[in-house]
Amino acid sequence: MRHIPEDELHAYLDQGLSRSQCVEIESHLAACAACQASRDGIAALRDRTTALLARLSPPRSFPTPFETLRRRADLQVSARRRRVHLVAWAASIVAAVAFGWTASHLTSQASTAPIASGIPAATPAAVSRQAVVSDSRTPTATPAILRPMASDSTRARPSRRPTRLTIRSAAAAESPASLVPAVSAAPELELTSIDIPQTAHEFELDGMWRTMSWAGAQEENGDKLPHIDGLPIVQVQVQAGEQGRQPLMVVAQQLSSGEVIRTIEGPAQDVSHLLARRTMSDPVPTASPVGSSRPNPVSPVDGSMAMQRGDRMIAITGALPPDSLLAMIRRLNAEMRSK
Amino acid sequence: MTDELEQLYQTTYTAVVRFLYRKVWDAERAEDLAQEVFVRALAHKPEKPRAWVFAVAANLARDEARAAVRRKRHLTLLKADPVAQPTVAPAADTMVEHDERVASVHEALITLTARDREILLLWDAGLSYPEIAGQTGLAVGAVGTTLARARRRLVEAHDRQNPSKGNHAAHS
Repeated sequence: MRHIPEDELHAYLDQGLSRSQCVEIESHLAACAACQASRDGIAALRDRTTALLARLSPPRSFPTPFETLRRRADLQVSARRRRVHLVAWAASIVAAVAFGWTASHLTSQASTAPIASGIPAATPAAVSRQAVVSDSRTPTATPAILRPMASDSTRARPSRRPTRLTIRSAAAAESPASLVPAVSAAPELELTSIDIPQTAHEFELDGMWRTMSWAGAQEENGDKLPHIDGLPIVQVQVQAGEQGRQPLMVVAQQLSSGEVIRTIEGPAQDVSHLLARRTMSDPVPTASPVGSSRPNPVSPVDGSMAMQRGDRMIAITGALPPDSLLAMIRRLNAEMRSK
Repeated sequence: MTDELEQLYQTTYTAVVRFLYRKVWDAERAEDLAQEVFVRALAHKPEKPRAWVFAVAANLARDEARAAVRRKRHLTLLKADPVAQPTVAPAADTMVEHDERVASVHEALITLTARDREILLLWDAGLSYPEIAGQTGLAVGAVGTTLARARRRLVEAHDRQNPSKGNHAAHS
């Protein structure tokens, strides 16, 4: 009876064998002490390898929300489509130029012959043909080309502008005059950027915020308070977690340029919900204890960046360009990671 | 389809980052590349997304390594100082963590042949034998043989560098 070779034992333990191969090996193992020993040795070797490799793991981080990747993919696809169009367009120009060159090459060759033989015969014909061509083109072709271009540009421009308008007007929700054209024309570009779980949970977010002192908040929540080291803290707001829920924390800090950024940390669902609400209607929660009056410290056109780790999420909002926010959330992530 | 990808993202993102980290030795870069992998997956909608994701990750890491080698060559040319860095470990100097325990495994890992290392890392990332075979062009039957050799060599190389076994356990 042959013993089981080493690599087969590896494959057996790695579940890389077929059912029938497994049965064969198991029946042999049951009867062969030597193979049992080598199986145990290989199992130990496997565990050892796994343990060694486990040391080569990067520090854990918050993965970017999948929605962000989805948007990036959409952008890439449309960019590629545009590129394909551009290439097709360029190719058609090359073709046209090449054709024109061949054509002119041919006609010049053809025309040299008559010119050489009899000049008066060739010239009037060419001139009159040109005249006819330009005549026929001007009245019919120009409007046909101009019309779609004009309507395109008039359509394209307003459709881009109202996107902003919607956010602003939906947030203000006071001037129906500005709402009407915006809602009718705008695609819901930026409004769909974050999943909005429409649940009863929404109400809980309204009135349960506590504004705390930095020291008090730190005492209560330890190092988990989201913030960027070195920036003065303007405000700390905490929504206490109920029944084992983690608290949701918002820390406002001021940049040297005067802008206020807010760093948010909490259960992923709550944070994304908060961000979604912020874009939809109300900014980051306010200091008001009941939630009835809402002073509005954050402009609703603020950008935001979020990173998710498991069921937690960190986010930064502020009236800053996306790459600044991205840089800041990276820094925040690194700082949170090191704690 | 994309829901399937989202689920895959939730379950394998960490494994993809780890897989990439073990090739580019830069945590942030590994994360950027991992995101790029999933962005591409979203655009391509592959049929076998899991195997596809790791195949693309391996390609990106390879491109990255080539670029790093080019950069290094340019640097060397610029400096005109060929003794700047012994380049046995292509990126050992960029490792963020100088933890000895990490470094010793890193050094052991780079003693393996490229193929053995690739297959070991793919296995450790959670790919099955058929998936590994599909990606590397190896016969399914040869995956076990390769893994057997890779594991043995990794542990041997590691223990050679750290002769006193259990030493690491003592001071951790």
